[in-house]
Amino acid sequence: MVGLSVGEKYFIQGGINQNLRSDGRKRDTYRPIFVETGVIPQANGSARVRIGTTEVIASVKAELGRPSALHPDKGKVAIFVDCSPVAEPTFEGRGGEDLSTELSVALQHCLLGGKSGAGAGIDPSSLVVAEGKVCWDLYIDGLIVSSDGNLLDALGAAIKAALSNTGIPRVHVTAAASGDEQPEVDISDEEFLQFDTSEVPVIVTLTKVGRHYIVDATSEEESQMSSAISFSINRKGHICGLTKRGGSGIDPSVISDMISVAQHISEQLITKLESEISAAEAGEDEL
Amino acid sequence: MEYVSPEGLRLDGRRPMEMRQLRAQIGAVAKADGSAVFEMGNTKVIAAVYGPREVQNRSQQIGDQALVRCEYSMANFSTGDRKRKPKGDRRSTEISLVIRQTMEACILTHLMPRSQIDIYVQVLQADGGTRSACINAATLALADAGIPMHDLVTSCSAGYLNSTPLLDLNYVEDSAGGPDITVGILPKLDKVTLLQMDAKLPVDIFENVMQLAIEGCKAIATYIGEVLLENTKQLEYRKGL
Amino acid sequence: MASKPGSAPTTYTPTPTRKSRPPIFKDSDVDWVRPDGRGFHQCRPAFFRTGAVNAAAGSAYAEFGNTKVIVSVFGPRESKKAMMYSDVGRLNCNVSYTTFATPVRGQGSDHKEFSSMLHKALEGAIMLETFPKTTVDVFALVLESGGSDIPVVISCASLALADAGIMMYDLVAGVSVSCLGTNLVIDPILEEESCQDGNLMMTCMPSRYEVTQLTVTGEWSSAKMNEAMQLCLDACSKLATIMRSCLKEAASATQD
Repeated sequence: MVGLSVGEKYFIQGGINQNLRSDGRKRDTYRPIFVETGVIPQANGSARVRIGTTEVIASVKAELGRPSALHPDKGKVAIFVDCSPVAEPTFEGRGGEDLSTELSVALQHCLLGGKSGAGAGIDPSSLVVAEGKVCWDLYIDGLIVSSDGNLLDALGAAIKAALSNTGIPRVHVTAAASGDEQPEVDISDEEFLQFDTSEVPVIVTLTKVGRHYIVDATSEEESQMSSAISFSINRKGHICGLTKRGGSGIDPSVISDMISVAQHISEQLITKLESEISAAEAGEDEL
Repeated sequence: MEYVSPEGLRLDGRRPMEMRQLRAQIGAVAKADGSAVFEMGNTKVIAAVYGPREVQNRSQQIGDQALVRCEYSMANFSTGDRKRKPKGDRRSTEISLVIRQTMEACILTHLMPRSQIDIYVQVLQADGGTRSACINAATLALADAGIPMHDLVTSCSAGYLNSTPLLDLNYVEDSAGGPDITVGILPKLDKVTLLQMDAKLPVDIFENVMQLAIEGCKAIATYIGEVLLENTKQLEYRKGL
Repeated sequence: MASKPGSAPTTYTPTPTRKSRPPIFKDSDVDWVRPDGRGFHQCRPAFFRTGAVNAAAGSAYAEFGNTKVIVSVFGPRESKKAMMYSDVGRLNCNVSYTTFATPVRGQGSDHKEFSSMLHKALEGAIMLETFPKTTVDVFALVLESGGSDIPVVISCASLALADAGIMMYDLVAGVSVSCLGTNLVIDPILEEESCQDGNLMMTCMPSRYEVTQLTVTGEWSSAKMNEAMQLCLDACSKLATIMRSCLKEAASATQD
């Protein structure tokens, strides 16, 4: 909950109109982004991302499971977000559930692509060990540790970083079982498969305040928004997902305009994020 | 299973009376009034304190003292097997209660009547001793929030396996099923505020194990004192004093 | 709530008064046919009827091919005591499926994801400030799921709100487009949805020319995205005309 006085509201809105926001940023500038990988040793991959004072942790856990009957050639990927009351007292008890579902669904839309799997950041067919019998189930968990706006972008970045940090053990199918039997598998302790995460999209949220839209809104700025659109955009500049939040309607031509702005911003964000991720990975190797 | 080798080394290479590596950091959550991260080996918890502030639910307001509330939650990825439900199970409720009672005992609640203090603890990684780590993190967070307390509560666990008292059990030792004791003390006042034990233990051995846990608590108290002092120095430095 | 004479037929069998919508574009070079024989840019015939539930303040029934949805609106009524004071009204949305809605017998439980989508699509259209301290409940029940469920639910819900006399800026019409290979098909049915590469769902207020909700999955280039959005906008405005005529019909029936 953000309690703002009338004066503060005018200050935020006026600043956005003049392209000088309360913290000195321009409308299209992100707060500093900080990435740390490998923060949860028990997981297959993990990362902590801090954008300004927003902080999230993402972890990737892989478990062996059975592919669904409908898609025998595909593994399963699930994304869950948990809002810790540490970040916001209103998340206590069941208070964070609505936001958790909203963020989980938005991330699934943005990162997992369409029903056939096209446009997904992670290729689900790469998770299959033995077709129709054994596959990896990927559980991606996000945790909000500190919330100061722009949670979706931070979670998207954290998931991208966690996936590039993920090593999935190589699995050898030792005895090829016939018929309905489950084959025996041997999980390697030494060989790990890495994901190619260059295709994983980044999420750029444009928040509309007044007539203008801004990137990376703080929670004070979010309280003044009329609506916000989150674009998930990959390296090619293609849109991989889109969700809108906030009530008021937007003119379709404004949306097209926002798309081109988001594509431009995503290029910078991808470059920035990938250099941060590789720096974090290098830093982890040294330790 | 052998938990202490003939050379006197435990599974993770520690001596029986050795504690895991401690690490603490103050101020991890920008929006909270006080917050801290506390690590004991692989166990890592984050605590945030909001308050003292207006009581949210009027019916819970206490006329002559502050209302202390606590919620404990575990992240989905905190354990080896992925948890499906991050909070609300019986174990979480029980630990929330333990932390609340322990912290309430040391906060000078009578100084803040009709107000509310919320303590939220989030386990990022669980490797045994989460209860103790949570209490230590909560103490640091309360101190960071500037809430008046009698003393800094610290907590540590100890167990008894292979006829040896062991300090600060990790997950494997904790799940061995032997007796384990969690102690919380007020180190300056030399008082025990929390004592939990399951399984049975002869009285004379219990005293040994308990003494070991208390020693552990005191060591943690020294460390927490150092961290707080260092933090205060940093604040002073930033103020330009 | 008294029953509304005329506007509330005792049964809501849609058979005789089925309205068909003209295709938005003329069928161009089609190299394959859709399972129900429609053109790629042709929507299913839409049927709307208000006043399906007598007990509700307003209700509507919608049928798009096999997708059958019923929405009832209650309120504005007093918000729950536990709720904090609010100087604007609250909107509470709930979408649920019947156990027999899907080909495989389902759980028939609430659909959280769709509920929040419905909420987001409608909240921008309703003048919430006209009923402070109160709540409007929108309950949608999908009787049969035949594809494009959520756009149908949204359109039907806005009609039910209008029937309940809730003040709105405009009717909200929802349409979705599926991307199958290089083709864009509008108003996809269940079979098409299960093998789609991408989906774009748009709800808009055609008279105000404003988009209230937009969700996209799958990979889209900007050009394709714009094409799909244009397709949706056109379909939405046509759909809104049908919805409007349904309301007019109900109103004139009451006057008679």
